[in-house]
Amino acid sequence: MPRIYVHPLPVRIWHWINALAVLALIVTGIQIRYVGLIDLLSFRTAVILHNWTGFVLIGNFFVWLLFYLLSDKIKVYHPELSPTKHFRESFRQLWYYGYGIFKGEPNPHHISVYHKFNAMQSMAYQVVMLLLVPLQFYTGVLLWDVKRFAGMIDMLGGVRVVDTAHVLIFIFFVGFIFIHPYLASLGHTRTAHFKAMFTGYEEVEELAGGSSAGADAAASER
Amino acid sequence: MTGTKFHANLIVAARLALVAVVTFAVTSLSARAADSALSTLDQKCLGCHSVKGLEKKLANGETLSLHVDGAAFAKSVHNLIGCAVCHRDVTLENHPPLKTKIAGIRENSLALAKVCRSCHAAIYKQYEGSIHAVLLRGGSPSAPICTDCHRPHAVMSKAAYDAATGAPCSTCHDPIFKAYAGSVHGEAALACSSCHRAHDVNAATTGDQLKNACLGCHQDTLAAHQAWLPNAERHFDAVSCPACHSPAAKRKVDLRLYDNVAQERVAEKAGVPQFESRARSADAKGIGLDALALQSLLREFNREGVDNKTTLRGRLEVSTGEEAHQLTHKAQAIQDCATCHRRGADPFQSVTVSIVGADGRPVRYGAQQEVLNSMVSVDSVGGFYAIGGTRIGLLDMLLVLALLIGVGVPVGHLTLTWLFRRYAKRIGGREDS
Repeated sequence: MPRIYVHPLPVRIWHWINALAVLALIVTGIQIRYVGLIDLLSFRTAVILHNWTGFVLIGNFFVWLLFYLLSDKIKVYHPELSPTKHFRESFRQLWYYGYGIFKGEPNPHHISVYHKFNAMQSMAYQVVMLLLVPLQFYTGVLLWDVKRFAGMIDMLGGVRVVDTAHVLIFIFFVGFIFIHPYLASLGHTRTAHFKAMFTGYEEVEELAGGSSAGADAAASER
Repeated sequence: MTGTKFHANLIVAARLALVAVVTFAVTSLSARAADSALSTLDQKCLGCHSVKGLEKKLANGETLSLHVDGAAFAKSVHNLIGCAVCHRDVTLENHPPLKTKIAGIRENSLALAKVCRSCHAAIYKQYEGSIHAVLLRGGSPSAPICTDCHRPHAVMSKAAYDAATGAPCSTCHDPIFKAYAGSVHGEAALACSSCHRAHDVNAATTGDQLKNACLGCHQDTLAAHQAWLPNAERHFDAVSCPACHSPAAKRKVDLRLYDNVAQERVAEKAGVPQFESRARSADAKGIGLDALALQSLLREFNREGVDNKTTLRGRLEVSTGEEAHQLTHKAQAIQDCATCHRRGADPFQSVTVSIVGADGRPVRYGAQQEVLNSMVSVDSVGGFYAIGGTRIGLLDMLLVLALLIGVGVPVGHLTLTWLFRRYAKRIGGREDS
């Protein structure tokens, strides 16, 4: 099966550090919030680990940001400017996951180097990476040293408001951490996308006519 | 020129004479104090007043003791000034002062306090800013005045405080002194005034005076806490020292009305108390303010002027004054974060809302415990939050929902995939299964 290079090394490093850090933040976050219900770590240890991991994740975010800002791969995040086309493609993708997949229909999205996300992914990752993740960093840093940022916290309505925002985004990521790997298992094999995130190469299916999706771009990668 | 020089010489001579007179007076007074001698006039006074049991019936029926311990007076610093300076209305001619009727013991002490002021003006000014003076102005019959703490006929140059008995503070604050006596500070025989000051005593739970008193002696405290306590400075703001250092105490949360513009606690205006009446009208059922009632109370305080001028700032404190004084050695202080940072923690079961009363003391109104855990309070109790301890219940439900979706969607989808496996030739399941 033809392969194309869609996940460059910096993206793969960023992705796996991100995955581990998010998992660690969720575990320590749950421990911090639910002392007594869960006792894996002491509250204090959980807070210290949570803070350190948070800063690692913030640093890692800039690996991702700088890579995409300094390379032409940023095109993968370019939004679809035509709402009609975007929603039609999103609906087709949703239809595939909710119905077509059970009938063995092909995935309507074909991966290429500059178009690796389907319409739903593209929308979701823009919201996640440009809104939720920065907002989580921001609220997290404020809560890390409440006194230092007291002025800003008061401006936002107080420490409870900031914490509530932080927890709401945390709740979203708890759901995300289950859905994301499951969707990643819906490649042409259950493990295809996982392997690709280690090797960088996605296997693409042969299209009618003998060429493979994204093969043109793949050639330029090699 | 000659005239000018003469005048200059005259002034110098006058100054020298003044210095000589003052030096003589001070030397003779010191000499008298040193050998505790009493002046002839004072001895005449004591001729009668040293008789035990000498007393006078007052207009209100009380009995005023007229006995003065001559030996104690001779040793006291007031020996220097003698009887007549304070009792200037008493002369040999009009004594006993038959014309002046003394209404009562309290009235007599109040009149004599003005005499204290004439020499001790600076200290009296400090006293006037104290909670004791506020109580006096408010007409409290038990508000302490000079002679309640100081025995004028036996006053010594050292503080009036007696470490063994806690007098004079313990006269009114006996339960607190008993609690304090067994504390780490009590064992070290620190005087009450070391923390509370002697004359400008403030209400304990208003202002930063007491916190500053702690930090005044324990200067490296913040650094010591920062070494192990995350957000140490925040804890210093939101948690009173005894909340951790009086480990046996029952803790509670006080939500304080705070003026964001003036950057200080909201205080009642003298003569127009509003807080209690507003709190009562918000608390229609009379069972303590719930989240909606608290929101409505805040709205009342923000009705005029700047938006969100008045907010609530919470503080974790101990329930009673006695508990606030039972400070222990630091090794016994609470260091387990879980004491507060878990759901249902003891400190968050009791909540009050407060304002600084016109007399400087806090005026509190009870609130229901739910105000700390309600989604409705996110805005109104925005200034107080303890992770875990005051977490919002609705967010817990949302987390459970996210977990259900997170697990349920993949499981449901997998189930459907399995059910339709016959048709799904292109799904990776074929390879895996």
